[in-house]
Amino acid sequence: MTPTPVWRRALPYLLLLAAAILLPFTGSTYWGVIATRAAIYWVLVAGLNLVVGFAGQLAIGYVALLALGAYTTSVLCARTGIGMVPALAAGGVVGALFGVLVGLPALRLRTFYFAMATLGFATIVTQVALAWTDVTGGGVGVPGPSLPAPFDTPWGFYAACVMLAALATWMTANIAASRFGRALVALRDADVAAEASGIAKAPLFVTVFLFSGAAAGIAGGLFADLQTYITPDAFTFDLSVLFFIAILVGGRGSILGPLLGTLLLTALPEVAAPLVAWSTFLYAALLLLIVLLMPGGIAELLDWRNRRPLTQDRVVLPRPALLADLLPERHRAPALAVRDVRLAFGGVRAIDGLSLDLHAGEVHGLIGPNGSGKTTTLNVIGGFARPQSGSVVLGATRLPQGAPAARARHGIARTFQTPRMVGEATVLDNVMIGGGVTARAGFMEAALRLPRQLREEAALVRRARLALGAVGLDALAAVRCDRLQHSELRFLEIARALLAQPDFLLLDEPAAGLAAPEIHELGALIRALAARGVGVLLVEHHADLIFAICDRVTVLDLGRVLAAGKPAEIRAHREVVSAYLGA
Amino acid sequence: MLEAVIVSGVAIGAVYALIGITYNVMYAASRVMSFTSGQLGMLGGVFGAWFILRLGLPVLPGAVLTLSACALVGLATEIVAVRPVLASLEKHLYVLSTLAFALLIQQFVAIEWSTEPQPFPRLLAFGDALIDQKFWLPLAACAAVIVALEIIYRRTLVGRAFLAIAEDGFAARALGLPERRLRMASYALAGVIGGLAGFAGGELMLAFFANGPLLSFYGFVPVALGGLGNNRGAIIGGLLLGLFQQAASFLVGGLFVSVATFVVFIAVLLAAPQGLFGAAAGRRV
Amino acid sequence: MPISAPEADLLEIRGLVAGYGKIVVLHGVDLAVRQGEVVTLLGANGAGKTTVLRALSGLLPRGGGSIRFAGAALPPADPRAAVRAGIAHVIEGHRVFTQLPIADNLLLAGYDLSGATRRARVEEALAEFPELAARRHERAGALSGGQQQMLAVAQGLVRRPRLLLLDEPSAGLSPVLVDRVLTVLRRLRAAGVAVLLVEQLIEKALGVADRVYALARGRVVLEAATDAPDLPARLERAYLGEVSG
Repeated sequence: MTPTPVWRRALPYLLLLAAAILLPFTGSTYWGVIATRAAIYWVLVAGLNLVVGFAGQLAIGYVALLALGAYTTSVLCARTGIGMVPALAAGGVVGALFGVLVGLPALRLRTFYFAMATLGFATIVTQVALAWTDVTGGGVGVPGPSLPAPFDTPWGFYAACVMLAALATWMTANIAASRFGRALVALRDADVAAEASGIAKAPLFVTVFLFSGAAAGIAGGLFADLQTYITPDAFTFDLSVLFFIAILVGGRGSILGPLLGTLLLTALPEVAAPLVAWSTFLYAALLLLIVLLMPGGIAELLDWRNRRPLTQDRVVLPRPALLADLLPERHRAPALAVRDVRLAFGGVRAIDGLSLDLHAGEVHGLIGPNGSGKTTTLNVIGGFARPQSGSVVLGATRLPQGAPAARARHGIARTFQTPRMVGEATVLDNVMIGGGVTARAGFMEAALRLPRQLREEAALVRRARLALGAVGLDALAAVRCDRLQHSELRFLEIARALLAQPDFLLLDEPAAGLAAPEIHELGALIRALAARGVGVLLVEHHADLIFAICDRVTVLDLGRVLAAGKPAEIRAHREVVSAYLGA
Repeated sequence: MLEAVIVSGVAIGAVYALIGITYNVMYAASRVMSFTSGQLGMLGGVFGAWFILRLGLPVLPGAVLTLSACALVGLATEIVAVRPVLASLEKHLYVLSTLAFALLIQQFVAIEWSTEPQPFPRLLAFGDALIDQKFWLPLAACAAVIVALEIIYRRTLVGRAFLAIAEDGFAARALGLPERRLRMASYALAGVIGGLAGFAGGELMLAFFANGPLLSFYGFVPVALGGLGNNRGAIIGGLLLGLFQQAASFLVGGLFVSVATFVVFIAVLLAAPQGLFGAAAGRRV
Repeated sequence: MPISAPEADLLEIRGLVAGYGKIVVLHGVDLAVRQGEVVTLLGANGAGKTTVLRALSGLLPRGGGSIRFAGAALPPADPRAAVRAGIAHVIEGHRVFTQLPIADNLLLAGYDLSGATRRARVEEALAEFPELAARRHERAGALSGGQQQMLAVAQGLVRRPRLLLLDEPSAGLSPVLVDRVLTVLRRLRAAGVAVLLVEQLIEKALGVADRVYALARGRVVLEAATDAPDLPARLERAYLGEVSG
């Protein structure tokens, strides 16, 4: 499949924009107000979409940020007399600050807890608005602000809202298509792989919560203008439900879907007037149906390309020759060494005084019976497990423990026993997740498509295609990852790891689930990687593969090195044979 | 005044504790935390007022019908919002499915019952002032539930099967235990407990649709702080939360109670995400 | 008069395909167990031994193939049906219910039986393990790992199964305890119960078994009687591949 051209992807948005521009010519002020409201809601939902649809955080209380923005803007205008534009900016700032405050628990809390926390926050904001009468006017409320001319008429205000909505669409679409969007989705669906690819969760989440909070705050200011007078009653939980459900109805990880969802949910009660009282009930019913029957939402419904059948009986045919372009000649990295590591889970010793070296350009096999500590060793090297004593050393540098996201910068990449992929993203996007560590352009550069961002993105795409070619998956670049076979996912994991241009590659059972010819291709690919100077640590149960391609083999038993040496020596080692046979 | 604070605090705390137990009973059977827990409490009040005040039934049949109706809602939660999600690969979708189902219940009540708080009947013919039934009924209900759960869990085979599924569902299935039927029974039981919370606390909270999300939140706080599935933690936490709220509203006024509750909730969770008595998370790779 | 001949297979697995989600672990496994026979299933890690047991007892859905047990087709993914048909699966890792007393752990194993039968069967199972009987009112969590494994085996016996599936009963046990468990197996065989055993300790496993299957990459690569003379060499090849060079 070929990638969709840009104009095809932009077409739905342009059609919507054209409809928005044509609407005033109908002269219907009734629909004008509804469209204005939809545009305002979308400014908020567009930002929230990054939190809910991309990062997968179930923030169900965003009406609180709408209220904060509305009150900040209105109170500033009513009590200090500054204009609405600076007041709107202040609303955005307040929204951003509280957005981070409410969002930060997401770094530590599980989904349901976080949802509850945002729900609690939403309850509190309305209660405070009701009780803090000196500022908010309590139940009486406060007059809303008004934009200066030419945006002070209904159609003028409509134009301002549509422009902001278009801006929000453009910016979030840019972010979604950048390494930040991919990183958010990776943290949502494959957090361990994201961290191994060098994606640090905390700074990214703070940035996204700032952005979506600011969008919500600004939407709040516009909302206050539209309402002309605001009271705590205006910010019912039903609104939060609408925002949240618009995203899920639209589909996770999509911009167009939630946009259509917002339009649909805003217009639905207007189309059928008797339904107004039942609107939240209907939204909830819609949510239940979507969750149970169509978790992909509208976006999946619109994704015709991925309903086309793929060819069956596909064979992965790696082309190791492409590695020369992907991994240019560089200085050989110093050896990576594990020094006397001990690690126990509870009372069970997983690793008990283990030392081993991994040199650039070698294939080092790590074998042993179940529970002998192979994967734990990879986890220690990858920073996922904290040993009680001992260290991981790269040349003269001692690597920090328990910081997996920092490993990619040290040239260490890995794959996983069960492939960790973003099923909803394309194969190409999945590979590009691995390359984020090489990029420099920041979040706002991505949102505004500044030149450095575009350059880096183009380079990343080129390298991702090379990596896909090298592992033999280039024909599937545009396919949704969850349509791939298991064996293809194994090779895809390697491609993703290669995009970080690693000096060391840790492979955790890459041959598991592969057919014999594929194992053969895998062996050749691993040898080719070593020839390009990559040090490969290979954990594998297929003994024949280990003995065929390794330069050295280390055998673990009960967390200790049972034997180490050349494959032939290990193969003849009686203790190894009996450890394997369990006698 | 101190007595009033303590009495009302314990009363409302007992309601929170019962909702907390409702969460736990559902969680133990399915590893699902359901947004419907608080809605069941709300329904206990609404069904009670409907059967006894509107339909004029005597108290006892009214109570039985209320709890039966809540058991059915619990069962419906399992069938509609939990079972399909557990059968799918994305089990975390339960957050959304139970939220949607909770909203359906809440909106239905708002439209078909009332959006204003409605009076709840006096259940017994005695007790007033500080020993008013509206204060001690929730506590009595809480005690009754604890005793009943203890009997079910320790003395009946079904109860032991509940405990077995809660501890290791896979091993329970391997033994041939009827996991699905037991899960449905757990949800019905949770419905009864949640309904009892709202029924016993009916006079305190009235029959009001908006009690649902409120109870969902304040019932979850003790569960989150005490550790999921820990009923003792839920009871202690619930009573403490009730006392704290009443004392705070007496000392500094109503507004800051909810703010303070929220801040404490977040602060404790950030410091100890598994709750104060919970176990640490497993390994990720 | 029974129609099936006495030497007919109690269990017959044909072309079994199974796995976890998208990962296919078993690519067509054929396997048979006769009545009163102890069969050991060997293979390296990841070869699919546990998967065979789980697909057999219905804990995992099947992707293909058929299983006949005692002359009838066994429905897929239905652990209760397997238990009722007379298959007891003692899963790996002695996962007993640590919060419950030993006696209750056994009572649960007879959940579907009538009260009196259940109690009688529990006594029967406890009779095999006197050290459990002595501590029947203690929580299973208070037992050592080895004793928990015995409790797990005892749970398997409560239903008087015709086929007992044992997944790595030796894991974490001292050699003395392993021998105890294996002694129980011999007694069971004498009583006509068939056993399908997954075990890492090959020599111990071969000591009790009549026949052996070896799995590699989700397929049966070896089937032999345990007294076959060239078995050790064939096993080594099955595990480690051919010696090259």
